[in-house]
Amino acid sequence: MTVIEITPPEAATTGELSGEAYRVAMRRWLRANLPATFRSDSAAFSLPTLSQSIAWEAAMYRAGLAGITWPKAYGGHGRTLREHLIANQEIGALAIPESVNSIGKELAGPIILAVGTEEQKHRFLPAILELRDVWCQGFSEPEAGSDLAGLRTRATRSGDTWRINGQKIWTSGAYRAQRCLVLARTGPLEDRHRGLAMFAVRLDAKGVRVRPIKSIDGRESFCEVFFDDVEVLQSDALGAPDEGWNAAIRVLEIERATNRMYRSWRFENELRHLISACKSDPVLAQLVADRHYEVRFGEVVVDIEVLKAHVETAVDALANGDRIGARGSLAKLHWSEAHQRFAALALELLGQASLPPLPAVEQARRRFEAIYLQARAETIYAGTTEIQLGIIADRILQLSKGK
Amino acid sequence: MSLTGEGLQPSEFAVTAARAVADCAALGLREQARHLANDGLLGVIASQDVGGLDLPLAFAVPVVVAAGAGLLGFPLMEALLLGRALQESLPRAAEAVVTGEMLATIAWQGSVRAEREGESIVLNGWVARVACAAEVDSLLVRIGTGAVALVPTDSEGVVIEDASGLDLTVPEHSVRLQGVTIPAASVLPASTWNLLCSDASVLRAATILGSAEVCLTLAQEHASTRRQFGRALSYNQAIRHALARQKLGLEGIRHAITRSVGDEAGALQRDAAFLAAGVYGSAVSEGALQIHGGMGFTWDVPVHRHLRRVRALQAQGEASGTMAALGRRYIDAITPASDAAVSG
Repeated sequence: MTVIEITPPEAATTGELSGEAYRVAMRRWLRANLPATFRSDSAAFSLPTLSQSIAWEAAMYRAGLAGITWPKAYGGHGRTLREHLIANQEIGALAIPESVNSIGKELAGPIILAVGTEEQKHRFLPAILELRDVWCQGFSEPEAGSDLAGLRTRATRSGDTWRINGQKIWTSGAYRAQRCLVLARTGPLEDRHRGLAMFAVRLDAKGVRVRPIKSIDGRESFCEVFFDDVEVLQSDALGAPDEGWNAAIRVLEIERATNRMYRSWRFENELRHLISACKSDPVLAQLVADRHYEVRFGEVVVDIEVLKAHVETAVDALANGDRIGARGSLAKLHWSEAHQRFAALALELLGQASLPPLPAVEQARRRFEAIYLQARAETIYAGTTEIQLGIIADRILQLSKGK
Repeated sequence: MSLTGEGLQPSEFAVTAARAVADCAALGLREQARHLANDGLLGVIASQDVGGLDLPLAFAVPVVVAAGAGLLGFPLMEALLLGRALQESLPRAAEAVVTGEMLATIAWQGSVRAEREGESIVLNGWVARVACAAEVDSLLVRIGTGAVALVPTDSEGVVIEDASGLDLTVPEHSVRLQGVTIPAASVLPASTWNLLCSDASVLRAATILGSAEVCLTLAQEHASTRRQFGRALSYNQAIRHALARQKLGLEGIRHAITRSVGDEAGALQRDAAFLAAGVYGSAVSEGALQIHGGMGFTWDVPVHRHLRRVRALQAQGEASGTMAALGRRYIDAITPASDAAVSG
C-alpha cells in the first residue's frame, strides 16, 4: 500500500481566514497534498484503494475541506455556505476521486443535524467526518425505486428495540460501509408516506447480509442489503417514527441543490483535460481547430456556465434565508443531462485519435470511458429525469392534474 | 445584483418599466421615446451629465426584460447603450437620446470604410441588422474593425432599405452609405464597439428572458384551460414534462443573466448568458407555440411574435459565430497534455 504523506493542516491559521484568503489557503493545501496517483488527469493515475481514500478524506477534513458548514460542536468547521462554495470550487478544479463517504457527509450527516438527538449528533457526526464510519443509503427497494413511498421494509418496535425486516437494493458501497441509513415502514403499506422512519443501522449487526451486484463499470459498486430480524436500538432511530419521510424530503430538497457543489468546477476540469489530450494528438488537434468542434465545445462551456449560475444563485438564496423548495430539481436536471452530452462528445472525439494512441490520449480515454458510463447513471440516481420533470411540473409550475 | 450607494435595487425598475411599455403600445416611435424618457428609462446607465441615472448595467436588465415581455416596438436596448456610449465624445447627442428628442439606433452587422477629407470623414459601405432605421434620426456604424461613427440618417448618401427579418415589431433594415460626409468629431474611439457588444449580450439575453417568461405563462394557461379528450391538456405527462423543460430553460436564462452582471463576471459570462438565452429562449417560445396548436399561429396569441423576436435577437448577436468564438478562445487557452496533470 502506498503511504500518503500529507502536510499537517494549518488549522490554526485557516480557521481565521475568510473570502479570497480562505480560497487561496484551500487551493494551496489541495495542490500541495493531493497525490499525483489520485489525479485521473495525470499520467501517474491509479485508482486509490479504500484505505488510501479514507486516509486522504480524513486529511481533507482536518484541513477544513469537509464538514465545512457543520457546527464546531459536532466536529464541523462552522463556516458559511458561501465558504462551502469557495472550498468546493477549489475541490472541483482538481481531478480528485469521488468521496467514499458522500452518503455520510451529504445525506446522513445533514439528516442527523436536522432531526437527530444531541447524543446522536455527538456520536455520529465526527465519526462521519473522520471516516471512522462510512455510510451507505438504504432507501430503494426492489418494489420501491422512484416510488419510494411504496417501500416494504418493516420496522417494528418492542420497548427500546426495533426489529427491521426487508430488502434494499442499489445500495452503493454497502460492502465497505459501517452504517446504513435505512428508511423503513412502521405502519401498513397503504399509509404510503406516513409511518416511515429512519434508522442508523450497523452493517455488522446480526441479520444483515450484503450481496454485491456487478454493475456497468465491471465493478461491484452497488449492493443488495438484506435485513433479517435485525435489532436496532431506539438510540439509533433518527427522528420521531412518523417524521422519517418529512425529514427526508426536507433534507433532500436542500441536498439536491447543494450536494457535490464542486460538480460544475469538476466538469470544467474534465473539459480542460479533454481539450488538453486532444491538442497533444496530431489528428485530434486538427479536429478541435475545426469550426464544428469549436461550436460543440462552446456549447459545453455554456452548459457549465449555466450550471455554475444555478449553483451560485441557489447558494445566494439559501444564504439569504430563502426556502430552496423544488429548485434543486432544476440544477439536477441540467447537470445530469449536460454531463451526458459532454461525455458522449468526449468519446466521439477520442475515438478518432491517431494510431498508435499516445499515452495522454490513452489516459484520457480511460477517464472519459468511466465518466461516460457513470454519467448514464446520473439521470437515474437522486431522482430520475422523469421524477425531476414531474417535481417541476407539480411543485414549481403547479400544473393542474385534475379533470 | 448588488445594492448601489443610493440603496436602489434593479428590481425596483421592473414595475415602472412594465407600465411604461404597456403605455407605449398605441404610440408612434417618437411619442414612445418621450414617454420612456419621462419615466427615466432611456438614461438608466448614462451619466448624470447627460440627464442619465449613472447606474450599473444590472439596472438596465429589468427594463429590457419588461420591453421584451411587452413586445415594445422601440429600439430600447440601442437607446440605453447609445446614451452612455456618446456621453463623453458627443454629450449633446447623448442628452438628446436620453431625453427622447433624438431617435438613434445601431447597425449591428457589417462595417463601412472611412476616408479623411480635412475636418470631415467620408463613409462608404453597407451595414445591416439596423433596428427601426427607417424611423430614426441617427445610426451608429462600425468603421472597419476599429472606431464607430454616429451618422444622421438624413445625410446625403444614406440609403435605407427594407430587409428580411423575423421580427415585425422592431423591423430591421439594411443601410447603404454612399460617400456620406460627417464631421471628424462624430467618430468615437475603438473601445466603444467592444463595450457596446459586450453590454448588448446581456441586454439581448434580458429581452429574450422577457419574451420567454410570457411564452411559458401563456403556454401554462393554455395547457390548464384547453380541454381535449375530456381533460385539461396539463393532465398529460407529455405536456407536463414539456412545460417543465421550458421552465428549466427559463430559469437557466435568468440565472445566467444574474451571473453575467455579477462582480466577477467577464466576457465569458456575458457571452454565455446571450448564448444560453438564444438556445433556451427559442426552445421555450417554440415549445409554447407547439402547446398552443393552431391558436399559436393567430395574432390573438402573441407567442409567435415573441418567437420572431427571440430568433431575430439571436441572429443580431451572431449567436453561431459567438458560440464558435467562445469555443475557440477556450480551446486556445489550454496547453497540450504532457505528463503533468492538466489541473496544475
